[in-house]
Amino acid sequence: LPVLTASAPPRPFRPSRYVPVSAATTFLVGSTTLFFCFTCPWLSEYFSSVIPIYNAVIFLFTLANFCMATFMDPGVFPRAEEDEDKEDDFRAPLYKTVEIKGIQVRMKWCSTCRFYRPPRCSHCSVCDNCVEDFDHHCPWVNNCIGRRNYRYFFLFLLSLTTHIIDVFGFGLVYVLHHRQQLDTPHAAVTMAVMCVAGLFFVPVAGLTGFHIVLVARGRTTNEQVTGKFRGGVNPFTNGCLRNISHVLCSSQAPRYMGRWRSQQAVEVQPPFLRPPLTEAQLEAKILDNGIQNDRHSTRSKSSLDQMESQSADAEPPPPPKPELRYPGLPRADTEESSLLTEAPPTPSMYKYRPPFNRGMSGYSLTGRSYTSYPSSLVLSTGGSRSSSLRSAHTAHNPLTTLQSEGTTDTSYKSLANQTPRNGSLSYDSLLTPSESPEFESVVSPSSPLQGYTSPFLSAQIAQQREGQLLQGSATFSSPHRAYLRAVSPPPSSGPPETQHLLQHNQDFSSSRAPRNPSSSSSSPGARSLEPPVSPPPRGLSLGKSLSYTGEAGPQHKPRPAGGGTVLGGGGVGGGQQAPQ
Amino acid sequence: MTHSLQDMRPQAAVAAKVFIQRDYTNGTVCQFQTKFPSELETRIDKQQFEETVRMLNNLYAEAEKLGSQSYIEGCLACLTAYTVFLCMETHYEKMLKKIAKYIQEQNDKIYAPRGLLLTDPIERGLRVIEVTIFEDRSLTR
Repeated sequence: LPVLTASAPPRPFRPSRYVPVSAATTFLVGSTTLFFCFTCPWLSEYFSSVIPIYNAVIFLFTLANFCMATFMDPGVFPRAEEDEDKEDDFRAPLYKTVEIKGIQVRMKWCSTCRFYRPPRCSHCSVCDNCVEDFDHHCPWVNNCIGRRNYRYFFLFLLSLTTHIIDVFGFGLVYVLHHRQQLDTPHAAVTMAVMCVAGLFFVPVAGLTGFHIVLVARGRTTNEQVTGKFRGGVNPFTNGCLRNISHVLCSSQAPRYMGRWRSQQAVEVQPPFLRPPLTEAQLEAKILDNGIQNDRHSTRSKSSLDQMESQSADAEPPPPPKPELRYPGLPRADTEESSLLTEAPPTPSMYKYRPPFNRGMSGYSLTGRSYTSYPSSLVLSTGGSRSSSLRSAHTAHNPLTTLQSEGTTDTSYKSLANQTPRNGSLSYDSLLTPSESPEFESVVSPSSPLQGYTSPFLSAQIAQQREGQLLQGSATFSSPHRAYLRAVSPPPSSGPPETQHLLQHNQDFSSSRAPRNPSSSSSSPGARSLEPPVSPPPRGLSLGKSLSYTGEAGPQHKPRPAGGGTVLGGGGVGGGQQAPQ
Repeated sequence: MTHSLQDMRPQAAVAAKVFIQRDYTNGTVCQFQTKFPSELETRIDKQQFEETVRMLNNLYAEAEKLGSQSYIEGCLACLTAYTVFLCMETHYEKMLKKIAKYIQEQNDKIYAPRGLLLTDPIERGLRVIEVTIFEDRSLTR
């Protein structure tokens, strides 16, 4: 029997979501109907009947695009099956880097959807889905705008602007010809419609202009607003003309959800054909028994060497998930290995990705209502505290700092494309969210977009930004500290956990210089070994590691002053960060 | 004729799954990595596998191509207020059908006899090609 691809679980019904789209529909349909009933009859008599026909065509085009933008699946990715996430979450990195046209781009792990987000994909917090080529979540159509429906959204904006101009223009013609009879209901209605049209013209035209520029430059709203390409190169552009034709003329992208799955009619039964083994392979086979496991475990250990257990949980990390799902085959991290051989490893990126069933433990990054920004790098403190986190987190973060020219506040307020997971940290909600999903940017609550780094920046520019980052990070630590106090367990319980975690870390990183657990600031020796990681401000350095390809970590290690104190004060027990 | 136990063998058990990831070096065009995964070394020829993935990549490139087909489709859609989508299949969908057929055929001819199964990547949102490796019980006898 054919099976449908599973869709996301049903979400609670929220009537407030439908207010903007209902208002938009009412204004559009209502005003246009009034225009047709009160203004057009005279226009068709006085000039020609082409006018109402033309207006009708434009209006229908606008409405069609509006409907498509509203009802079309934007390109939602189905949740990954359990089998795909076969890596031990404990060792799996939070980010994977991939090189796109020579530029390093980071792919972040989505804890909701259980896969590494493809480039340009982002998780919408409103829809609770990862969307391909995510542009933004539009409240006026109550839908995400992504790969599949961007074209309709763009055409909707163009046609709506045209329609508003037409309605206003023809209304003006009517009014100018009826200057002496402005007290008639027809004239009054025409003037009212003109007012509505005039009112909406400014924001709509502004947004249209903004999107024309975006299409020409091959960027999404998300990328533009989070400043990903500022000072850098956009790897996704193919030139102005190609970008435009890609948006307007490419074939309709397929949907991933709600597809009929073909059941495999293929019978698979042994005996199976085998390719002939070469001499070398035969030899290796004989020597292989047991070695493969060791090889694998050292690889994972070395990845842990580099792994900054930056934000450890209050509870000790869970034991590695047993890989017994498919016993009997040599385990090779295909996901990791394929990327490791193709892209330089990013040492500081190995953060631990908490396992799925520990709902609370931290995917704090998604805590940002706006993006999944890693700079928070603070894992949640565990189940018992989730309630406080959850409540703190539900507040919507106003995006005051992210106004682009020509856009209205309202259209960007819901740019929130990242869901804070239920258990994720509210800590993020204390910060002003304004970063892109894949990028490290530091935004202190007071200053907008200060000192962020783009993954597309060259290493040099990133280095220059370090100074800014340090400043940004200092302010960062204070809300963080405040949060810690509110949420972290009493300091007395901190140290034992800290010790335990330190122990744990040390077990894994034998090659590291011995670390003094009590010192909050790492010794210069230790520092030179690997990139710093723990406190969120430090996370800024992650952005830099992203932007360079395989440069040695030691050069980029800002050590924000705030970080050390926080570490000393809150302790790891607060679930804030790993000790150095 | 009596049924022997041999005839009533159930489908082989799944031993492992390998995921062929997307190759993003050229942007967001749909391409999969042709790198041969080590788990398949003992099950199938490298050449054969790479040939399959290359063919898939070509088919996807064809689907996403900005050609006359897609231009005409776009214009027609605009002119009919997108109602044409109710009756006509888009170019991409046509290619997806072709791809599904190709995968089915590859599975029948090449992969199933070797105890492997390819899953159509569209079921995974075009993110991975899932290769299921079946347990070869004949080896354990």
